[in-house]
Amino acid sequence: MKKYIFRRLLNIIPVLLGISVITFGLIHMVPCDPAEVYLRLSQIPPTDEAVALVRSELGLDRPLYIQYFDWLWKVFHLDFGKSFVTRQPVLPSVLYYIPATIQLTACSLLLMFLISIPLGIWAALYKDSLLDQFSRILAFIGASMPSFWLGFLLLYVFSLKLDLLPVTGRGTFLHLILPSLTLALGYAATYTRLLRTSMLENLNKDFVLYARVRGIKEKLIIGKHVFKNALLPMITAFGMSLGHLLAGSVIVENIFAWPGVGRYCVFSIFSRDYPVIQCYVCLMAVIFVVCNLLVDIAYVYLDPRIKIGR
Amino acid sequence: MKKLIYLALLLIIVYSVSLTGCGNSTEKTTGVKTKAKELTFSWNKDIGDLNPHNYSAQMFAQGLVYEPLVTYAEGGKIEPCLAEKWDTSPDGREITFTLRKGVNFSDGTEFNAAAAKQNFDAVLANAQRHEWLELINQIEKTEVSGDYTLKVYFKNAYYPALQEFALIRPIRFLAPTGFPENGQTSEAIKKPIGTGPWVLSEYKKDEYAVFTRNENYWGTKPKLEKVIVKIIPDGETRVIAFEKGELDLIFGSGVISLDSFKQLKESGKYETKNSGPLSTRVIAMNSNKGATKDLPVRQAIQHGINKQAVINGIFYGTEEKADTLFSSNLPYCDLKLKPYDYNLEKAASLLDNAGWKQADGKEFREKNGQALELELCFDSTDNIQKSAAEAMQGDLKKLGINLKLIAEESQAYNQRQKDGNFNLIFSETWGVPYDPHSLCSSMRKPSHADYQAQSGLSMKPEIDKKIEEVLLSTDEKTRQELYTYILKTLHEQAVYLPISYRTNMAVYHKNLSGFKFLSTQYDVPLTDIDIK
Repeated sequence: MKKYIFRRLLNIIPVLLGISVITFGLIHMVPCDPAEVYLRLSQIPPTDEAVALVRSELGLDRPLYIQYFDWLWKVFHLDFGKSFVTRQPVLPSVLYYIPATIQLTACSLLLMFLISIPLGIWAALYKDSLLDQFSRILAFIGASMPSFWLGFLLLYVFSLKLDLLPVTGRGTFLHLILPSLTLALGYAATYTRLLRTSMLENLNKDFVLYARVRGIKEKLIIGKHVFKNALLPMITAFGMSLGHLLAGSVIVENIFAWPGVGRYCVFSIFSRDYPVIQCYVCLMAVIFVVCNLLVDIAYVYLDPRIKIGR
Repeated sequence: MKKLIYLALLLIIVYSVSLTGCGNSTEKTTGVKTKAKELTFSWNKDIGDLNPHNYSAQMFAQGLVYEPLVTYAEGGKIEPCLAEKWDTSPDGREITFTLRKGVNFSDGTEFNAAAAKQNFDAVLANAQRHEWLELINQIEKTEVSGDYTLKVYFKNAYYPALQEFALIRPIRFLAPTGFPENGQTSEAIKKPIGTGPWVLSEYKKDEYAVFTRNENYWGTKPKLEKVIVKIIPDGETRVIAFEKGELDLIFGSGVISLDSFKQLKESGKYETKNSGPLSTRVIAMNSNKGATKDLPVRQAIQHGINKQAVINGIFYGTEEKADTLFSSNLPYCDLKLKPYDYNLEKAASLLDNAGWKQADGKEFREKNGQALELELCFDSTDNIQKSAAEAMQGDLKKLGINLKLIAEESQAYNQRQKDGNFNLIFSETWGVPYDPHSLCSSMRKPSHADYQAQSGLSMKPEIDKKIEEVLLSTDEKTRQELYTYILKTLHEQAVYLPISYRTNMAVYHKNLSGFKFLSTQYDVPLTDIDIK
């Protein structure tokens, strides 16, 4: 297991280097000159002299590969440069917004589990029952309804009409409910169906029949044997979703005025604040890669058949 | 491993719940309820660092904390603020300000000529950054000639100096105690301390800001004790928060959709208001590119757009139809120019006479085998521009003009303005107190859409020369004559298609009284507001 983790960690290095090249390259391929963007954001007229001066200040007049290695070297030292807009170091700004996004994601994950696991199990155990039908409808709604629309619906019903929850802000636990629910519902719907299908597949396996013949209690069969095996496809999907939840919370953050990193990044994209965009993309890439690694490790743990080299 | 999974789950729960305690738990910021004499409104962006000499803060917030030497009142009249009076030398190159006595910054530090000069020096040290503002380019030096007397020397006589002293930035006054150690405010300040009626008392980046009444304020103190600004980026969320009572006031231009404004207005539950004209939504037509090089084509477009239909259908009548580049209520702009009326026959005849003929069976007009195709560029994030562009596309199709719509994100759209890579492009005048002088001044700079749009006019050098003259003129009559030439020429050359005069909107609950719009667009009128 340790060897496997070590090997996977080593694999991360070329992946991250590749990402860094793509991130750096894409930013330099966009049609707007970063020097001009910098001047415009600083309210300085982008005259030829001013552009030349800024290009020299930012090192943009050097060959691209030198710029890349210089940038990479600084990144290794956790220096992502200064924001074009605020002129403050980028990393502390991004880190300032991260806790709010993690909080939202964590709460959404929790809700996602709380909804999808019991509903998925029940839908499988009581196949074609009313509950199963309900989970199907929920899946359709969850998968087809865009989060911005769902967010507004929830706001309209629970905040405006029923006056149960606040509309915006990040003050108390109550503020967390609607944004988390908006973010979680789409995923919960998918996971419920995924778990149901996987549970049904496993319920028909020989080991279940054998366990029943052995007289093992049904609860134990479902909880320990079937559920554990049924979790595998869910874990794979979960690995991808975690990154998506973190990086994709931007719409929800916007609707609910949640001060997260997604909102900050979108603002930076609109103002072409390149250092912030680069930092955000790198950070998200690391999160994605680490999530996938964790999923693979969990996979090996949950399914002993998957062994390294076998 | 199992333990680890349980531990991870537990951490998720603890983290997601515990952090909720980190936010501000006061009623005001959570917005559940506001107390009497407290007003909550929202803004779409964080208020920023409140550096008065920089551009990263929101102007309305800078306007609450810092004050200018003079203010801009109705019709462009200049009124005293931190300066009690001022004298301009006969050659217009020297203004002596007599500062108001007994004014203190909110921390108790005295406002005097030395403090004012320190601010001027900090701004002038960073002059390159303020190059867009002619006032800064024209200031030669400042001099303290008494405890409360400040002299400002200019390189040339610059008539709009007083208007530009009234701007929210960059010349407003930070207390000496708010300056950083190096005395330079170009990067950051130590603390936002001004002489204004409000003091920033609480702030959480991208969440909220609380402004408390400045109890040491020299002028009329606001009736409200506290103003809470919640950062809500989405307009529709803002409407729901307002309807729920989390916000007392919605204020600004484009802060909510016009559909929402109409709906709130028609509900009859709230007070809704529109200010007078503040700036003009215009379409700049490039006299140096493609078919819009032809004056008759530009004139035909002027006659071919049904502006009133756009205003009724898209703006729901909240904005007034614009016939000229600047509203006639602005200084030097009441020129009684003849508007281009909506007249399809006249438009068609102009095109026919210019050789743009519509052949049988062809959808669009042609000249020398070239179809009459134009590109209209707009900001893809601006729904109003998009709707207006679509309406114009329909109008011009009736004339046999193929108007192609180019929607791009803000920076790419800005780039087109700068490069002149457009036939038609949405633009906007700068509004009061910048209009007409600042916009006219910028018409001389190639990085502006105005310059690009005018660059094909044979009289462009003459226009630029007159602009330079008008800014340095000392005689009122000459100034009016110069403005008349500039604005009349641009009108006759049909370089601008004015659509409507943009206004500020306000929606508030009925328990709020004393609301009235100010004559400038970025100041939030909080002083007279009271809560019943």
